[in-house]
Amino acid sequence: MNDTEIIEKAKALLGDKVLEVSNPALRRIFMKVDSKDLLKAVQVLKDDLGFAYVATISGLDGGEDFEIIYHFANAFSQLNLRTQVPKTNPHVESICAVIPGAILYERELQDMFGLVVDHIPDSRRLVLPDDWPAGNYPLRKDWKYERPPEKIPGEKS
Amino acid sequence: MAILKPLLYIFVYPGVIFLFVYSTFCEWFDRKVYARLQNRMGPTHTGRWGILQPVADFIKLLAKEDIVPERADKTLFTLLPVVGIAAVSTAMMLLPVWHYNVANSSPNSFSGDIIVLLYILTLPTLVFFLAAWSSTSFFSTIGGARVLTMLFGYEVPLFLAVLSPAIMAGSWRLAEIAAFYQHKPLLLLPNIIGFVVSVICLQAKLERTPFDIPHAETEIVGGTFTEYSGKKLALFRLMTDVEMVAGSGLIAAVFLGGFPGGVILGFVNFVVKTLLIIFLLTLIRALTSRIRIDQVISFSWKYLAPLAVLQLLITIVLKGFVR
Amino acid sequence: MKFTVPIGPQHPALKEPISLRMTLEGEVIRDADIRLGYNHRGLEKLAEEKTWLQNIYVTERICGICSHSHATCYTQGVEKLMEIEPPKRGIYLRFLVAELERVHSHLLWLGVAGHEAGFDTFFMYTWRDREVVMDILEMVSGNRVHYAINTLGGVRRDIDDLQKKKILDSLDFLRRRSEFYFKIGANEPSFVARIAGVGRLSKEDALALCAVGPTARASDISQDVRKDDPYGMYAEVPFEVATATSCDVLGRVVVRVKELMQSYNIIEFLLKNLPDGPVAVRAPRRAKPNEVVSRYEAPRGENIHYIKSNGTDKPERLKVRAPTLANYPATVVMLRNGFIADIPLIFAAIDPCICCAERAVVLVDGRSGEEKIVLMSELRKQAHERWKKAPLKKDAVWPF
Repeated sequence: MNDTEIIEKAKALLGDKVLEVSNPALRRIFMKVDSKDLLKAVQVLKDDLGFAYVATISGLDGGEDFEIIYHFANAFSQLNLRTQVPKTNPHVESICAVIPGAILYERELQDMFGLVVDHIPDSRRLVLPDDWPAGNYPLRKDWKYERPPEKIPGEKS
Repeated sequence: MAILKPLLYIFVYPGVIFLFVYSTFCEWFDRKVYARLQNRMGPTHTGRWGILQPVADFIKLLAKEDIVPERADKTLFTLLPVVGIAAVSTAMMLLPVWHYNVANSSPNSFSGDIIVLLYILTLPTLVFFLAAWSSTSFFSTIGGARVLTMLFGYEVPLFLAVLSPAIMAGSWRLAEIAAFYQHKPLLLLPNIIGFVVSVICLQAKLERTPFDIPHAETEIVGGTFTEYSGKKLALFRLMTDVEMVAGSGLIAAVFLGGFPGGVILGFVNFVVKTLLIIFLLTLIRALTSRIRIDQVISFSWKYLAPLAVLQLLITIVLKGFVR
Repeated sequence: MKFTVPIGPQHPALKEPISLRMTLEGEVIRDADIRLGYNHRGLEKLAEEKTWLQNIYVTERICGICSHSHATCYTQGVEKLMEIEPPKRGIYLRFLVAELERVHSHLLWLGVAGHEAGFDTFFMYTWRDREVVMDILEMVSGNRVHYAINTLGGVRRDIDDLQKKKILDSLDFLRRRSEFYFKIGANEPSFVARIAGVGRLSKEDALALCAVGPTARASDISQDVRKDDPYGMYAEVPFEVATATSCDVLGRVVVRVKELMQSYNIIEFLLKNLPDGPVAVRAPRRAKPNEVVSRYEAPRGENIHYIKSNGTDKPERLKVRAPTLANYPATVVMLRNGFIADIPLIFAAIDPCICCAERAVVLVDGRSGEEKIVLMSELRKQAHERWKKAPLKKDAVWPF
């Protein structure tokens, strides 16, 4: 199964849910769906096209909205499923119901971008400390780290 | 003169001084052989060939901070290392080294001393278990449970294996058993199975690889000794060394014909024979990996115990021919 | 009686900080939970502020053992973004170091597995022979750990015929030793008793939980980026994907030793067919706005970097996924219903390389036995109060 066949099959199965699709390099497919069609698209990719392995989930701060890219792979190709959610209402559906192995990446996404992943089985923090101030999402472009002034005990002021 | 001899026995040889010096030497020997088998140098720095390293370690531990956990049973926690070291040192006193007379029994050599010795050598295990429980850490508790579980595995084969030469010799006294085999050295050969079984059981008793399960560092941190530090840990380490010497002394007395030849030659005999057994223990330690607690039990009851019973059968049948 | 045992963040079996909380019933594990974040360094944010070239050295420092993997994964992605093609000799040398790194990583892992199983002799011997690979790597790149041989458009150093000969000679020695270790690892009774049947991960679970690398391959999934998605010159190199069907720690040992053999063959092929020519081309400073997904088979499994450029000399976004993270969900399944004695082995069998984050300390109250997780800030506050109360040292000037 090569790239064109995968794209043809995906288009046939998902119909007009596929917003755009491109194939910039050999074994690299980029596909875009609406965020409400995400779970359906993942289900189809897994059941009919054999993309059962999600390598990771990348978040992207695109200014107005967040872009979320699900990187899938199987033995023939590598497919990147892209979706967009507005920054004002950052909700995305969890894909753990279809692919349980995605849990850690979704938790990381919540930590780093402040996205809300709905129906996630385990919504604890993954990488940030428990006393991390709420509302700080490090990978958003407008977030800047300010190092607190260093204080040495006993230092002469 | 009559008083001097027992005093020498208790304090010099094979008493406290010799015991502690020799047990640190044995630890060095064990470590050096283990290291060479692993293509390492082992201790090299302290003393000639690093021979003083165990002593240095002991002194270093004595100088370290001594911490008692708040929730621990403090009396028990403090007392146990002393009880342990007292028990193993007493075991050493019962070995037929030089101050005994085969004809007459004395306080350190009497009929049934082999049973007493085996019993005293069980005490360290109980000390380990109590030490683990009294320190109340998770890891210690698991370690303590493992100590007791393992005890049920190796104790019965050890008893069976060590007692069969005694049956052959027809005596429950170590001195008489040793004298019997010195008289008929060929009869040592049928005991070879018992010798192998008892060396493996001694390895388990000393909690060394493959039986170092109660203090497996990669699983349960320090296991039994997690909460021990400073002087108490030093005493525990010394206790393990002394137990190693006493245990290999017991096996040498029973299976290798004891230590004949008076004070000097007996001493040479003692050192050579115990070092041989310690070398075997080190070999086992270097060549195996740690097994699981359930595997220890099944190994003991599937292989060690039947072998020990087989040894007992061989002994009983042979005894009919010999007499 | 059920009770919870914390393994880590500081524990003799773990060389890096991670917290495993085990719910135990006697000696049997009923449930496991993994907490990460003790080692998070905010690298993805940092990468957005560094230039393309600087980022090679940042990504190299993601991991100490597979440093070359991350750097190569990043470099080949950026080369695609910049639309440059490294010369063939450069590619061959780059992946020569990659395969040498795989050999050193797998030998290291074999030793660690031996140590976790209490088989220290095995550990000492494998690590002694690992020094041979480390020496080769030092000879080729000049460094033992962070090789820093990658650059945009090729590699930084060339090798000569004498070095080539030396590597080929050492390969014979390594092959012999690896065969010996294979014999020991698969035959030493006490070692096999410890690893056979331990940490079972069925093929279905491995697929569902997205396991990667030797963990997946030991569960009979023939998944190897070098075969599935050949990068560099792997399309022209003959090699086989090592798999095992036993789905346990023994299978993972077998897979890794088989991979060692394959790596020796690949190294030999690369050296014998090393083309002539330059080792690097000049790379531009900027990359056109584009995005690329770069995949790489690290010793532990698949590395994936997603790189997006925005036309400047800095990346817009660099997403790094290390293989260990992908194996954590599978580890929880492997640990369930195992023995305590198997924790270090199962955990070591995924070859964990902890590079992700969070800061917490577990304190057990001495009197009540109550266990709580204390935040770093809270702990700092407590320490500060205690320091204030301390009567003698109060007026002391720091540092003393």
